Amino acid sequence: MWAYILRKLLYNIPVYLGIILVMMLALRVSDPVAAYLGKNATQQEINVKRTEMGLDRPFIVQYATFVGQIVTFDFSEQGWNNKTSVGKQLASSIPPSLAITVPSLVTSALISMTVALIAAFYRGRFPDKFLMFISVLGMSISFLVYVILGQYWGAFLPQQRLNTDVFAVAVSAGADVSDPWFFLRPNKWVYYCMLPVIINVIVTMGYDTRYYRAVMVEETNRDYIVTARAKGATRRKIMFVHMLKNAMIPIITHLMITLPFLIAGSVVLEMYFLIPGMGRTLINAIVNKDFPVIQGFTAVLAAIFIVSNILTDVLYALVDPRVRLS
Amino acid sequence: MMGVLKRTAMRTIAATSLALGSAAHGAVADIGQGALKVLQVPMRTDGPKSLDPAAGSTVYDNMACCQFYETLLENKYADPLDMEPRLLAEIPTTDDGGLTWNFKLKPGVRFHDDPCFPGGRGRAIRSDDVFYSIKRLATRAGAKNWWLLEGAIVGLDAWRDSTGMTDSPDFDAPVAGFIKRSDAEFQIRLTEPVYRFMYVLSMFQTSVVAREAVETYGKNFFQHPVGTGPFILDTWVPQQSLTANRNPNYHEVRYPARDEWSREDQRMRLHRPAGQLVPFVDRIEFTMYVPDQPLWLDFGAGKLGYIMVPAPMFDLAINRRTNELNSEFADRGVTHQSDLLLDFIFRGFNMEDPLVGGYSSEKKALRQAISLAVDWQEFNESNYMGQAYIYDGPIPPGLDGHPEGGRAPLTYRGPNLALAAEKLAEAGYPGGQGLDPIKYFTDQSDESRKMTETFKKQMARIGVTIDPQYVDFSTLIDNVNNKRAPMFAFAWSSDYPDGENNLALFYGPYESPGSNHYNYKRAEYDRMYEQIRTMPPSDERTAIYETMRDMLIEDTPYLGSMARTRHYLIAPWMLNTRVTERYWGWFKYVDVDDSKRPS
Repeated sequence: MWAYILRKLLYNIPVYLGIILVMMLALRVSDPVAAYLGKNATQQEINVKRTEMGLDRPFIVQYATFVGQIVTFDFSEQGWNNKTSVGKQLASSIPPSLAITVPSLVTSALISMTVALIAAFYRGRFPDKFLMFISVLGMSISFLVYVILGQYWGAFLPQQRLNTDVFAVAVSAGADVSDPWFFLRPNKWVYYCMLPVIINVIVTMGYDTRYYRAVMVEETNRDYIVTARAKGATRRKIMFVHMLKNAMIPIITHLMITLPFLIAGSVVLEMYFLIPGMGRTLINAIVNKDFPVIQGFTAVLAAIFIVSNILTDVLYALVDPRVRLS
Repeated sequence: MMGVLKRTAMRTIAATSLALGSAAHGAVADIGQGALKVLQVPMRTDGPKSLDPAAGSTVYDNMACCQFYETLLENKYADPLDMEPRLLAEIPTTDDGGLTWNFKLKPGVRFHDDPCFPGGRGRAIRSDDVFYSIKRLATRAGAKNWWLLEGAIVGLDAWRDSTGMTDSPDFDAPVAGFIKRSDAEFQIRLTEPVYRFMYVLSMFQTSVVAREAVETYGKNFFQHPVGTGPFILDTWVPQQSLTANRNPNYHEVRYPARDEWSREDQRMRLHRPAGQLVPFVDRIEFTMYVPDQPLWLDFGAGKLGYIMVPAPMFDLAINRRTNELNSEFADRGVTHQSDLLLDFIFRGFNMEDPLVGGYSSEKKALRQAISLAVDWQEFNESNYMGQAYIYDGPIPPGLDGHPEGGRAPLTYRGPNLALAAEKLAEAGYPGGQGLDPIKYFTDQSDESRKMTETFKKQMARIGVTIDPQYVDFSTLIDNVNNKRAPMFAFAWSSDYPDGENNLALFYGPYESPGSNHYNYKRAEYDRMYEQIRTMPPSDERTAIYETMRDMLIEDTPYLGSMARTRHYLIAPWMLNTRVTERYWGWFKYVDVDDSKRPS
């Protein structure tokens, strides 16, 4: 397996270099320094900043330098806006994102799989139709609507009507968010993160349930199900033991695809609940044309994508003995 | 089985309640209620980019820096269009008609205690600190704000060229215009007696900083403010929050006296703490909000002292017809204030454009026809909720030279379609015949598109075709700077409260790429501008402002004008509040009453 992982990593090096190349070219299509400094900047200021950032060097030199920084995990370059190193911004923004996305993923995966199994179990009958109706209904509503209504009904109204400050509308200045692990403290997590997690779970459940149900239903037509039935296995055992195990490959694929997004965070939730996660940091960097942050974050996300792809292949082999890592 | 389930459910509920209870407890601690007086206020958008005043430029940099740093002069809380000494003992004086100014520093003003000083104790400010702080604007650190002082002080431009813009500027090298009399007294000699220099000294970029702090913190100085201001930085999480504690050594600054407040302000009881020492609060906490929803809900929940009413929520808060606060808020003790901004919202013409530019009577008639066809009230209703103020001329309300009631004796303000058609015929285009479509450059935002469609529709009424060019902002600037945009949409917010600032927009030598985007050039106008910029406020100066204003209305190098009104809601627990955007050093005058907060 380790040989396979190593081989895959080596194969993916050119892919990653290509991604970095395309990303760096794309970020330089229009002059990032002029865009950042804005309309009042003089040519002299633009030139000074360009030299300061090393953007006056030939592209190939910039490319080699950046790749060198990635290889040595050197993310010490400062963002243009808040002058904090890209590495520090990554380190401080990943934990808040994970505080929302990991519980959301785990909870929504468990609930969705359970609901999907129930729907598949009652395929074509009322429970199936009802659950799928709810799922489609849930999918049809915009994420933003859930966030706005969630904030209003979940945080604001209880404060107004019940005088109970259970969930925060948003992270206020009084919260000590300079500590990246702040959101992982249990009472802080409940106050600041639980409502976004609930909203995220509700939003993703519709999509996930439909997907998992489709996977389960497809499995019900397989030969091994017919065999199990012929051998007298109960319907419940067929569904929850035989079928679930065999359906794991598409489920793992689905979950692993979600992994990079987990780390990238949920932009909408982070923006509305003022959670200083990776998604919000990246969006702010884009809005403020903070070139080093955009470049650094994109490179890290690309690496996470590649690693999660390799992990997906490894997990296939772990859950399905028919898959060989060769 | 059911019993087990029930017990499990009960335990779960109990555990959850405990967890939620402890969370709520934590939340109360977070909002800072208790023995300390804490003021929680919002910052819309993602907040300041730098806490170094020399490097700051945005309103949020201003808002943050003003808590830590101070300027020689500051706007008056009771009358923000006027100024008072802040780090000075008295208003600067001049003996030679405004060429040389005499300054006397206020005694007892010390920098914040900080490790950058020997023994960590902030020292008293000196004349050299003022020179040093102004010189920083002539270095790379202040490059963004150099325009404020360019060509203003004798020898400063030469200092900038010789050493200021190098890697290590020599701050000890003399500048002829800086004359030190003692540690507490100094003179500044100007290249010409430009009156606006006094306003520049009240702008946050010219705040006095400690050289020790700049040298100690080096590149990180932008996040280590060490000033003389009423608050000392506690935490700054960029794009998230900023907190500051009261400066225990703040110099003696008192709340404005009763007679400084207008009758209306006195009716609002703003004069109550007259003469008391400020600041009143122990701590100030800024939270940065980008979407409006959490801002609105947090204010509704009583967690913020005040907010500017977000446009989508306007009708929830204020009755458009009466301009009064809706009862839902009024009943809770929330109060409402509005502030007319020093805006100049306009549509510009390029006076060098062969189609719409020029000074002949026909060309003037064409621009006047277009002006007469514009219905500003329609823009006001559709884009500014009917809250903007429409006026003639380029000088915003409240300033000398602004026409009484907004209407100048000479006006081409529309809609007057009959006169517009007449003027169009006079220009040689009866009913718009023979007139090529006019290219109109504007940015790509939804707001701009909406306004442009309205403008296009209004022009179609007199037969003028507008050809909108929706471009990104840098392309818009590029086209305007290179005189390629026959018409363009811009807005100007006054840098300082003097009509001179707006009249300068039409001064010939400032043509594109300078601030005279209209490329308006009239020798007579330029002569008058050169005269007024050295004049202190007087009836004579106002009369010249009015002449210049009317000259512009007659030549019509722009269509306009309009100024926005900001509406603010103030929580019942935030006391002594008079919201203004003219300056941001006013939080020191605000008090809080925790007994009025929601329990």
